[in-house]
Amino acid sequence: MTNAAPLRGVRVLDFTWVWAGPYATMLLALLGAEVIKIESRGRMDIMRRMIVWPLFSPVPQEIPPNQGMSFGAINMNKLGVTINLEQPLGSDLVKRLVGVSDVVFENMRPGAMERSGLGYEELRRVNPKLIMLSSSARGATGPESHYAGYATVHHAVGGASYITGYPDGPPSTTFGDVDLVNATAAAFAVIAALHHRAATGEGQFIDYSQCEGVSSLIGEVLLDYEMNGRSPGRHANADELMAPHNVYQCWGVDRWVAIAVETDEEFAALARVMGRPELAADTRFVDAASRKRNEAEIDEIVSAWTRARDRDFIANMLVQEGIAAAPSRDADDLFHDPHLSARGALVEVDHPEVGVRRFAGAPWIMSGCDVEAVHAPLLGEHNDYVFRQLLGISEEELDGLQRDGVVQ
Amino acid sequence: MERALAARGAFDGVKIVEYATMVSGPYCGKLLADMGADVIKVEEPPSGDPARQRGPFPGDEPHPERSGLFLYLNTSKRGITLNLDRPDGLEAFRRLVAWADVLIDNHPPEGLESLGLGWDELRRQNPSLILASLTPYGRTGPRARAKGGELTSFHAGGLGNLLPTRSEDMSRPPIKAGGYPTGYSTGLTAAVAIAGALYGRRASGGGGRLIDVSEQEAILALVRTNVASTIYHRTAWSRVPERPPALGRLECKDGYVVALLIEDRHWRAFVDLMGNPEWASGPEWGTLFYRAGHLMEIADHIAEWAAQQSKEDVHHRGAAKGFAIGSVYSAEEVMNYRQHLARDYFVEVDHPEAGKARYAGWPYKMRASPPAVQRPAPLLGQHNREVLEDVLGFSADEFADLCRKGAAWKAGGQ
Repeated sequence: MTNAAPLRGVRVLDFTWVWAGPYATMLLALLGAEVIKIESRGRMDIMRRMIVWPLFSPVPQEIPPNQGMSFGAINMNKLGVTINLEQPLGSDLVKRLVGVSDVVFENMRPGAMERSGLGYEELRRVNPKLIMLSSSARGATGPESHYAGYATVHHAVGGASYITGYPDGPPSTTFGDVDLVNATAAAFAVIAALHHRAATGEGQFIDYSQCEGVSSLIGEVLLDYEMNGRSPGRHANADELMAPHNVYQCWGVDRWVAIAVETDEEFAALARVMGRPELAADTRFVDAASRKRNEAEIDEIVSAWTRARDRDFIANMLVQEGIAAAPSRDADDLFHDPHLSARGALVEVDHPEVGVRRFAGAPWIMSGCDVEAVHAPLLGEHNDYVFRQLLGISEEELDGLQRDGVVQ
Repeated sequence: MERALAARGAFDGVKIVEYATMVSGPYCGKLLADMGADVIKVEEPPSGDPARQRGPFPGDEPHPERSGLFLYLNTSKRGITLNLDRPDGLEAFRRLVAWADVLIDNHPPEGLESLGLGWDELRRQNPSLILASLTPYGRTGPRARAKGGELTSFHAGGLGNLLPTRSEDMSRPPIKAGGYPTGYSTGLTAAVAIAGALYGRRASGGGGRLIDVSEQEAILALVRTNVASTIYHRTAWSRVPERPPALGRLECKDGYVVALLIEDRHWRAFVDLMGNPEWASGPEWGTLFYRAGHLMEIADHIAEWAAQQSKEDVHHRGAAKGFAIGSVYSAEEVMNYRQHLARDYFVEVDHPEAGKARYAGWPYKMRASPPAVQRPAPLLGQHNREVLEDVLGFSADEFADLCRKGAAWKAGGQ
């Protein structure tokens, strides 16, 4: 039996923008689904022109629509079409596409699709087996369903910021990673719905809340309140049981190594590598509970050793000894990590406007999943294929739609 | 409106063996089990999954059947204990894998190999098996066998280096986000791949697959936009305190809020919320570009204003004005959050040893195939007899024999 990409034959209409939606549909595309991203010149995905965290600079902040590389990183392997949803003929065109699709995925404000006449109830009349996922800040129901939000706000409301930070410092949000992890969970829900449809013939609406998505990833923290009536605080890099378990400063500017010691054997190996074999027999550090009790002392000893040494050298040396150790990597480190390169974790795509670019590829290696990375679509790049070939619209009709500004 | 249909799990009928500990593999198994998959968790005696040794525990008293971490991550599964160091225990495991559609394994790649169950052998025994292998660095490449875990993978993947945000002291280390973000993200990633692979099999047949998921890459996947922007647009990658024009965290008198003001109209709404103070009301503040350069000049004024506000007041009044803002909620506040409650987000689970508690639910509301806790997390070896006899077809005598010899093991005997 031969394998191919497992979602081949599944067609997804993608009305998403920014991060939380686009990454979800890209995951589906990386599994073989045909994803058609629907934008218009007037309402394009704002990430096409934005860079992450614009810095104060005299350089213009906006870039040409196809060249935002954070857009490029989460829209690979999609087709791009332009339809003006504000025109009735635009909605009609979408409905024709819905008729030949399996999934609609959107992350506009709750109600926005309905206002364009493209709500679930409307679309299921066109395609009774449709699966539609709406991803919103706080869900489509409840008193706060209309609240706007971005990743950092969801992180805070969902309960994860409160536990992130130094014990003596303020809470910290993370970044757009919250959107991407929510996108992953939403992609899972869509595939689950495809299974349900395959078994029963029934489509469904999926209401996805990004704040709930955050809460679902701290289940044990919430149970602490249930069990003990208390709210866990912030612990930086510390673990409940292990020590040393921290990130230590190395030689250079902003160079750090993460070290996690689980067993007595690992601690003995660390002591040996540090040239302090006697520490393994020291009563303060003799077992996990003692090490955890004397964590501050142990951190001081390890820091004194790492501070004068090279980060990567330390990490390699400790890994050889069977100890979990890794540099705290920045973008350049990731880009030049030989291990990631050897695994093909960063894929090359040839972008028609900017040339070869490298992005993180699929977050898995799956045998038989024959999806080659393709650059994110240029605005309207696949209008011809989608409207002419897929929908069978004649050249004259398409010309008319373009003239009338329905297809832009 | 909806036609009535008996609730059905999306993965009903899917057979999964979970040979996994701690967070990544078990969370992956939970996601599938809560949607109906028959997940059998294999633990090794005497103590089983080390997550059982981790808190929270009721009253802070460690007890292997009352770990909040274990209880949450293992809902809806059946649990058995097998001693894989014994040939008869291993044989039972082989039979289980031959039964399964999916094997979730988060041991180092050499773990199954050392049991004589490397991928080549597994697929020989069960050609349609999907093996999901979750490891710190993946099964290939120079670091394939390097030890790693929650902390090191988080930093190796690039997210740690960005935290905490707005750090004021560069001599303090970058940090891991709270909890087990690496484990959860890796489990979620693997669940997508498994669900996809299963769908491919359902739709068009096809053989087994090996799914290789690396914790480092599961984290890298989440910072992919930051990586691309940093490399190609030379934007900042750092935890520096000043990051205009995003407003980020504000300290109120009773806690913190987080706001993000990108669009000009949202900035104006925020200034309005502050009562239109003179120092923020000039027309020049109306553009993102100006704010990018000057926001830090009025940061102290904003902080002074915020310090006199209560966070919930700012949160809800700000949200009513249409901009993105929310309170930093503690566990207690999340458990009492009106929006979660209104949406029936929490699920009450009654566990025979740990009692009743409300657990976090699922962020996806699915009308036709709602997720549900099918049963509480298994006690150690709780389903030994049921699984070995009913699933694998051992006779009652054979089962008794396995227990006597210690191949299937349970605290207090079986």
